[in-house]
Amino acid sequence: MSEKIVFKSYREMPICAMSVADMTWNLTGSWRNVRPYYDFKISPCRLGCPTTEDIQKYIYLVTEKHYEEAWRTIIETNPMPSITGRVCFHPCMDKCTRKDFDQAINIPAIERALGDTGLANPDWMAKASASKKQKVAVVGAGPAGLSCAFYLARQGYSVTVYEVDRALGGVLRWGIPEYRLQNDLLDEVIQSILESGPITVKTGTTLGKDVGLEELEDTYDAVFLGIGLTTSQRLGIDGEDGAGVDPGLEFLRKVNGGEKVDPGKRVAVVGGGNTAMDVARCARRAGSEVTVVYRRTMNEMPAIRDEIEEAEREGVHFHFLAAPKEIVRNGGKLASIIFQEMKLGEPDESGRRRPVPIEGKTFTLEVDRLFTAIGEKADLGCIEGLVDCKWNLITTADEYGRTSREKIFAGGDVVTGAASVVEAIAAGRKAAERICRLFTGDGEPESGEQRTIGIEDINTAYFERSKRTLVPRIPPEEAVAGFEEIYRGFDKELLHREADRCFSCGVCNYCDNCWIFCPDVAILRKTDEYVINYDYCKGCLVCVTECPRSCISTREEGK
Amino acid sequence: MKKVIMGNHAVSYGVRASDVKVISAYPITPQTQVVELLSEMCADGEIDAKFIKVESEHSALTAVVGASAAGVRSFTATSAQGLLLMHEILHWAVGARLPIVLANINRAVGPPWSIWTDQNDSLSQRDVGWLQIYCESNQETQDTIVQAFKIAETVKLPVMLVLDAFFLSHTFEIVDILEAEQVRPFLPPYSTEVRVDVEDSHSFGNLASPDGYFELRYMIQKAMEQSREVVKEVDREFGEHFGRSYGLIQPYRCDDAETILVTSGTVASTTRAVIDQMRDEGIKIGSLKIRVFRPFPFEEVFEVLSGAKKVAVIDRNISFGHHGIFFQEVKSALYGRTDIPIIGFITGIGGRDVTPTVIREIADKAMGDESPEREINWIGVKR
Repeated sequence: MSEKIVFKSYREMPICAMSVADMTWNLTGSWRNVRPYYDFKISPCRLGCPTTEDIQKYIYLVTEKHYEEAWRTIIETNPMPSITGRVCFHPCMDKCTRKDFDQAINIPAIERALGDTGLANPDWMAKASASKKQKVAVVGAGPAGLSCAFYLARQGYSVTVYEVDRALGGVLRWGIPEYRLQNDLLDEVIQSILESGPITVKTGTTLGKDVGLEELEDTYDAVFLGIGLTTSQRLGIDGEDGAGVDPGLEFLRKVNGGEKVDPGKRVAVVGGGNTAMDVARCARRAGSEVTVVYRRTMNEMPAIRDEIEEAEREGVHFHFLAAPKEIVRNGGKLASIIFQEMKLGEPDESGRRRPVPIEGKTFTLEVDRLFTAIGEKADLGCIEGLVDCKWNLITTADEYGRTSREKIFAGGDVVTGAASVVEAIAAGRKAAERICRLFTGDGEPESGEQRTIGIEDINTAYFERSKRTLVPRIPPEEAVAGFEEIYRGFDKELLHREADRCFSCGVCNYCDNCWIFCPDVAILRKTDEYVINYDYCKGCLVCVTECPRSCISTREEGK
Repeated sequence: MKKVIMGNHAVSYGVRASDVKVISAYPITPQTQVVELLSEMCADGEIDAKFIKVESEHSALTAVVGASAAGVRSFTATSAQGLLLMHEILHWAVGARLPIVLANINRAVGPPWSIWTDQNDSLSQRDVGWLQIYCESNQETQDTIVQAFKIAETVKLPVMLVLDAFFLSHTFEIVDILEAEQVRPFLPPYSTEVRVDVEDSHSFGNLASPDGYFELRYMIQKAMEQSREVVKEVDREFGEHFGRSYGLIQPYRCDDAETILVTSGTVASTTRAVIDQMRDEGIKIGSLKIRVFRPFPFEEVFEVLSGAKKVAVIDRNISFGHHGIFFQEVKSALYGRTDIPIIGFITGIGGRDVTPTVIREIADKAMGDESPEREINWIGVKR
């Protein structure tokens, strides 16, 4: 049918315009030569989310006021939306199509609102029983471990969580200050996860000391290692050892534990990541004058942009292009730090420009305390020689966390190096998925749909420009006075105002445009879908143009 | 059996005799009695046809197109605005090569509203590709319906019968009524290979690229040209069966005529009476009725007119910005072959009576004026 018929003379032609061949395959004859068909894509925000939250779907469900279903949609890929809604670096927003129209959707604020609504409705969480015989040990109760435990327990596998600390949460508990994530909320989230299925907790248990990896491997059908990065990197300069110089994480751990710490009047923080920001802002809350010194510029800082801006608002000083060279002590007491001035050279393997010293240029900063926040590393003594490691990280075969030992999986910072909460959640979930497949004998998981759309695929005539709806907040001067949570959540009105801004990129939200515009009345509206009646569709493609969100693709007929 | 019936009913009887299977029409004065009688005939079982009621002429012809495309004999009738509303589908019937027969009762086009006769409605459909046959009497009307189906089905083009409003449509005359059994040997039941058939599905009326459209149009013109012989042959055959024939044209006392009046429709009858009168006076005059307008009988018209010294064409129509339409056609038939003066007369527009006096005025004017400067002579217009 794709072969072109060439008539050499009118004598070879039928008397009137009619097909020579049978045309039951296209009842419009040659009229419809291009066929429209519903073809949903993956919204770019979802592709931008490390744990592939179905953002478009839950925002759509919010617009329809189906909050429980919206919450369920998130829980499919992330068991702690209340937390990610507060602390995530929201790469989804960088991908948001609306960013190229006016301003990206405030996705984390919507996620947070749904997460909190879920916590307020504990009956929404299904309670799984231990329906399967296999048992899994999860080592480390940070975001990766908790996520892994949640997705295994929900399938009916019994999970035992081993945690070195007395309380669960890992970096969520000791690494994130309360003004960003309140401990009470964290407790609630963890409780909701623990209650979701057969999960047992063993706190105060150290791997390699209280329990060995081989023992776990023998006792359990699978083991997940989500032990994170726990040891601070050292500066490696003169005078580092001694009073007045401390790892920032230790300070944070004490502050988050409710301990009163006096860092001193003048505090320097070395580093440009989130730990540096958290340390600086906690020190401000203790009343210190704080200077963050970073060896590159603000553009290269790995910290979340919002956190840098908050730190500035709270009065944290920044000094860029400088690295500590020497720590000067006066009778054992910290006196000052000599900094080497730097400039940006050629880009390094991370793509950021490498800082290089400017010969002979230094300056001195007089401080009472220096916090180091130049990164953390894993403590892998407990698994040494048992699981393949490289560069002090556990080596995995793929994103599903398979290690060199069949029954042992790993995920989170201990695999990736310092990354993010949401990436750890994703790693935990994917490892759980792979562990389930190990138990059921199913093969490798298939990679999902990746096709997405951009602003050029949006019919922007259907949208009015509007500003992102911001969450209410307490002013910086009030914020810096204590550990009250700075950002408040959306109320219903704000939630809907923001959800209504979503383009629903590449996914139908039943706007009826195709159905209304079809000049041949060839689109039928069913309960939860539209169906094209190809007996009548002439392929004018008005539906394709009028779909505001590129849900309809085309295909040449007979090809 | 002979009956005294009106011209419109002569149409209905012609349809009744032709084993038509589908009739769809929308009533309009002065056509109404055609469909009234047909619907009664269908209801009474006199005709084994499906009568499809519709909401407009566009739909009426569309229904008939559908029926014809499905391979059955189909008929419709209309008038004036109705015909104009059918315009798009008139083209369709031609392009789809459907042998539909349509009776159009000539009625002047509004505004202003008029129900009386002139030829502008049918002649404005001159170029769509339908055969057009202008009838003069009730007998001719009935017989032409039967002939029309045979012609249409032979050349695979639709045929339009044209009747003057009231002068023909509502005038009662004796008609020798044809019965279907009588007609069947002349016009067998219709069947065609090319038809919409669920057992052998094809698509029809498809999109044709410039690569094929041209040839399909060429074939329509070829069919139109061939139809001239087919009309003659069918007419001859009809004569064999029923003893009546009508020809493409009808010359009257033209053999030694110095002046010939060219006419169509009912004006032809009136003109013959005037010709007889003038012949009695010793004037060498004749008349030529053009019965088949499409395809235009160029050769036949030339043959008759080439012996005359002067030709006068009577048009009950006007092509605004040009001349009378029959006048144009006659002139084109004679173009380059003779230098006989051809004079155009426009009369009878909007149903104004074309009486013997009017015809006489035209004849006198044509004979008296040696070299007419104008190609339009308005007869009877109040200036």
